[in-house]
Amino acid sequence: MAALIPNVIAMKEQFISAIFETIYMTLFSAVIAGVLGLAVGILLVVTQPGGILEDRVSYSILDKIVNLLRSIPFIILLAVISPLTNFLVGTTVGTTASLVPLIFGIFPFYARQIQNALLDVDRGVVEAAESMGSSPAEIIWRIYLREGLSDIIRVSIVTIISLIGLTTMAGAIGSGGLGDVAISIGYARFENDITITATIVILIMVFIVQTFGDWLARRVERY
Amino acid sequence: MSEDSKQLISLRNISVDFKRDGKDIAAVDDVSLDVNKGDIYGIIGYSGAGKSTLVRVMNLLQRPSKGTVTIDNQELQGLNPQELRNARKSIGMIFQHFNLMKTRTVQGNVEYPLLSQKLSKNEREGKSLELLKLVGLEEYATSYPSQLSGGQKQRVAIARALANNPKVLISDEATSALDPKTTTSILELLKKLNVELGLTIVLITHEMQVIKGICHNVAVMEEGQIIERGKVAEVFTNPQETLTNDFVETSTNVKSAIERITADPSLSTLGDNQRLIYLNFIGNASKEGLISELSQKYQLNVNILFANIDQVDGENVGYTIAIITGEEASIERAISDLQTAGVRTRLLQAKQKGE
Repeated sequence: MAALIPNVIAMKEQFISAIFETIYMTLFSAVIAGVLGLAVGILLVVTQPGGILEDRVSYSILDKIVNLLRSIPFIILLAVISPLTNFLVGTTVGTTASLVPLIFGIFPFYARQIQNALLDVDRGVVEAAESMGSSPAEIIWRIYLREGLSDIIRVSIVTIISLIGLTTMAGAIGSGGLGDVAISIGYARFENDITITATIVILIMVFIVQTFGDWLARRVERY
Repeated sequence: MSEDSKQLISLRNISVDFKRDGKDIAAVDDVSLDVNKGDIYGIIGYSGAGKSTLVRVMNLLQRPSKGTVTIDNQELQGLNPQELRNARKSIGMIFQHFNLMKTRTVQGNVEYPLLSQKLSKNEREGKSLELLKLVGLEEYATSYPSQLSGGQKQRVAIARALANNPKVLISDEATSALDPKTTTSILELLKKLNVELGLTIVLITHEMQVIKGICHNVAVMEEGQIIERGKVAEVFTNPQETLTNDFVETSTNVKSAIERITADPSLSTLGDNQRLIYLNFIGNASKEGLISELSQKYQLNVNILFANIDQVDGENVGYTIAIITGEEASIERAISDLQTAGVRTRLLQAKQKGE
């Protein structure tokens, strides 16, 4: 082992804490961006023309915000968003500071994914619920989120995998994590075994998330 | 019009405009319609006639651009969203593509409307099973919609629509995606609900068979307007408009029979003592042996080329195409006798050769 990955063994503790930093960044920003993206995605679907709470003004504002945020390359977003990061967490560098750009980088993407997943819910079923006197909240909860659940799980998995990718870029603002280790240590010091090991760990994480997600999506798809 | 307690649905001067390419297009154009309690009212028209838009106005799934919608003496446009939702619970609706929730079981689908009521789980289950029994699907309670046939899916949709004890059931092309046999069984179910529960039914369709099968009243729609309406038996036997006549003749095969017979070259050389005639018997007239009686009385030879008897809203309607041979004066008298007996007659002209 020591012969195969000598530099990784030498920085064993730092490498393991990098794994936890990546998990921390992914989970924490996934939860907050998940709530935010789900809310925005639902709002996009219900306010769009022909939606159950059609509102052209709200729809067009939300739609433009989502498009704008998605257009900013993440590596630049890390920098431009720093005043907001400073305001929210009191610092612009480090693992916790990276959460703010991660959330703003991923939630618009997730909102779009949710929007597409919910648009796949049969419009006729929504209309049937309206004809039965269901309120908008009931339709969102009992029709959209329930009928669209397996798709929601699938897009959530895609989003988490993208998010793991983004955390590696956050190394640019000293976030730590596997991306940071792979670039600023493995790459910069020509310690290739570190870069390769970090890559393999990330691949394993992605594999676990994908497998769990597929299993969960199939589990709710009993019909 | 005064408030009539028999009236359940009253549409007054309804127009629905859609914008298309910047222009206003009237999907429904100044339509007024009344449906009485206990009626089965059919609206027939080709696709694009505006019938689907019109029935969606009845529960305000489609808000009209002009006009008022009154259901059970309650004007729907004046209601706030909560009141409108309550009003919608008394208006059940079924759809061409069933619109069942794929993630819920058959029973779960029927229970859906009950979720917003203050009912215990047991009460909900009891009520939904009762409804499934009513539509004959209790043994499928735990199946998912994807495991059912089209007819079974529509039965589930009917049970679901009845869960809120509606006063009226709106059927939006509910049998159009079904085969003829299944269509008949769904229509029988609707008729049963009408008789046993006193449920008022408004249905739209493009098939005259459906109207003939269960409706008491019918309205014919074309280009956003109702061009003809009345009792099914009357409209069916004496259509005033070309489109109505088209629907009637198509559904009885008379149209194709007339085309086939008048195109037959061997009939283009009828003598002066021969008449090609189309007879339309209504009600009791079809039961009496009118033709044989007259052929004996006036010494006529009747050669029947086509005959069909139909049941319309419980009445017999007969259609016959025949060649009558005999003395001209006798033929004239026989025809006038037929007309006196309430038979509609029409002389047909066979096409000349080369025409």
